[in-house]
Amino acid sequence: MITGLGAVSSAGIGADDFTAAIRDGRCTTGPITSFDAGGFPHRNAGEVPGFRPEEWLTRIDPDRWGRSSQFAASAARLATLDADLRPEDLARARTGSVMGTTSGESAAIEQLVGEWRSDGLKSLSPSLVQAVPAGRIAAAVNTELGIDGEALTLATACSASNYALGYAYDMVGQGEADYMFAGGADSVNRWAHAGFYRLGALAEEVCRPFDTERGGILTAEGGVALLVEPYERAIARGARIYAEVLGYGLNCDADHMVHPNAATIAGCIREAQRNAGVTPEQIDYICAHGTGTRTNDATEVAAVREVFGDAMPPISSIKSMIGHTMGAASGFGALICCRALYEGFLPPTANVERVDPELGRGVDPVPGKARQAAPQVVQNHGFAFGGNNAIVILGKAA
Amino acid sequence: MTTDTARRPLPTDDFTPTLTTLAVTSTAAVSPAGVGTTALAAALAVGGATGGEATEGLGDLGEETLPPRPVRAVPPLPFAELLGRKGLRNLDRTTRLALVACQMALDSYPGSIGPGAGVVMGTSSGSVRSSGEYSLRTLQAERPYLVNPSLFPNTVMNCAAGQVAIRHGLHGVNATVAGGALAGIQALRYARNATRQGQAERLLVAGAEELSAQTGWGWQRSGALRPDFPLGEGAAALVVEPEEVAHAEGRPVLARVLAAEVGFAPRGRLFATLTTCIGRALDRSGVAPADVRSVALGATGQVGADRLELRAVRGALGTAGMPPTVDVRQAVGETFSATVTLQLAALVDTWRQRGAHPGEAALITALGHDGSVGCLVVRGPATSPAH
Repeated sequence: MITGLGAVSSAGIGADDFTAAIRDGRCTTGPITSFDAGGFPHRNAGEVPGFRPEEWLTRIDPDRWGRSSQFAASAARLATLDADLRPEDLARARTGSVMGTTSGESAAIEQLVGEWRSDGLKSLSPSLVQAVPAGRIAAAVNTELGIDGEALTLATACSASNYALGYAYDMVGQGEADYMFAGGADSVNRWAHAGFYRLGALAEEVCRPFDTERGGILTAEGGVALLVEPYERAIARGARIYAEVLGYGLNCDADHMVHPNAATIAGCIREAQRNAGVTPEQIDYICAHGTGTRTNDATEVAAVREVFGDAMPPISSIKSMIGHTMGAASGFGALICCRALYEGFLPPTANVERVDPELGRGVDPVPGKARQAAPQVVQNHGFAFGGNNAIVILGKAA
Repeated sequence: MTTDTARRPLPTDDFTPTLTTLAVTSTAAVSPAGVGTTALAAALAVGGATGGEATEGLGDLGEETLPPRPVRAVPPLPFAELLGRKGLRNLDRTTRLALVACQMALDSYPGSIGPGAGVVMGTSSGSVRSSGEYSLRTLQAERPYLVNPSLFPNTVMNCAAGQVAIRHGLHGVNATVAGGALAGIQALRYARNATRQGQAERLLVAGAEELSAQTGWGWQRSGALRPDFPLGEGAAALVVEPEEVAHAEGRPVLARVLAAEVGFAPRGRLFATLTTCIGRALDRSGVAPADVRSVALGATGQVGADRLELRAVRGALGTAGMPPTVDVRQAVGETFSATVTLQLAALVDTWRQRGAHPGEAALITALGHDGSVGCLVVRGPATSPAH
């Protein structure tokens, strides 16, 4: 059961602000401020504006932790509040965290690179070096909340949060943990901006998944955390249950580092549905990986069509609003799925003016603003470099 | 298990799941001691890698130099011969070392790994040299975007795992755990869950760490390691599968991973947390402290952590006393996220050579600078592999 949600994103801090922005179809990407993007032809991203970690964190000293860790710990703190729990409740139980990431503490690495360039490797700041290990992202969650269970960081790139949610579901389901935080965090960085630009995958202004005029992704950042606990515990403490994890599927393309593969993704969808004990007809909505590249749209829709035939459920991309938050992306997807199930709406795709006819018939990207609906079972997609596909199925709490 | 009813206010807490045993059915290592687990075990026996300071295996360090401290590098490897030339040029050292170890583990695996197999790779932050150089290029190039797109995947932490899957056609779960010193324990813990969930029939569990000027100076500047402790590198890979599958298909079991327990503590509670973690692992494994015939330590040479680790192990084993220790880091240097996997590969080789006593178990511990602790409890093969 998912009973707490926390978000730190360009679309707001806290799950309520985030959800309100998404429901409204508000595009929250904009000009990059965290590094000098002047030399890049494309200069927009989804940054968390004016993030002040000290407003959210009580135990962690922001000077000793990287930006991604700060995002993760803040999101977990917010999820704790949202779940109506006190940190001491969590600390008394067996509580752990599993967080996904693509580039770990990339902001710390880029600061070190700046020192390297100016004064050589021998000038690296010890405190920055100590902030580099990606495993600190989950460690930050445990440190901030004073919890003594597992602290696992999964570095499976852009599907990592779905990996994390699947793992948390297993740990709680097997009785290895009483509570698990699952989510992810990443920071906007210059090297990924350059890399995506050179791959021809970076949008000029805005991200328009499914649209004829799409131009690619916008890099983005943030942190997201979902609190997972067993049904009995949630009921016993009278928790608000947003959604239930019904199951998940993972597989690997094993054919190319950066190009997705429709057949393997279709296999992953089938595996997730099998694991969740649902059939395609039961899926009311798909929260797409939806990066905004032509390749992703074509591949993702082809995979969905392979499983659903022409009866594809509505499929939308929140990356149209917040950009591609990398390791946090499928966590934000899961969060909005929880709110969609709980409140009864379908999240929209922003910036869609004309659905690309090449995607074929029956693609409903929920253009514009959220649509009132009563979804019962939804499917959250996450695909990644390395062919790491991860799909989670969530259901409305009974 | 450690039962503490005061901490367990709700009914779900009383349930402690049974652990499923993972069988290790192949091992491989590439380290400063050379290629293979036997070279590694031999280096352990004499207390250090032969060849010692030679660093020509590292190849071109660019314009940088290593810090002035002892280092242990993997000797020059014929990567083109071992891995083939195709696509090799764009692969960084972390990925190459991982590919070599995985290739060797599959070569010595008595069976076919199959397309349903998965990969769990241990890392800390991927190749910091790759991401650092990529980032530097954006500062140095005439235009910040004049980077090589073919090298971009190297900057992403799951590069090695993805490349292993591509090379061997492995379509099962493909995970990368960023645990640093804990990575090997987390990887086996993850692998155990993945087999239990049916996400892969069997898995390659590996860890890889490259020595570079960037990581070398990072260690030097962080002050985390004693100045005389050598920096190392290497990779190890294991094939793991459910024990009953290995038995049913007649594959010799080299070792059995009984427990992979983890915990977390702020600095002041590390000792107690590691002691508890070891106690829980032994308890859940059904292994008595007296059956622990060797201990592989993970924090030797780490400022502030090494004594704490030793005390915790002594405390957890109690009157059974401290058995002989296995310590690959003393032999081949700091190998960070490859350490636990190398330790297990070395241990298996030791058992293979001298034969494990019936019921003999080993304890492998690790702790991270961030507060993570963990341990493995591993038993030797049920019967001697000579039979």
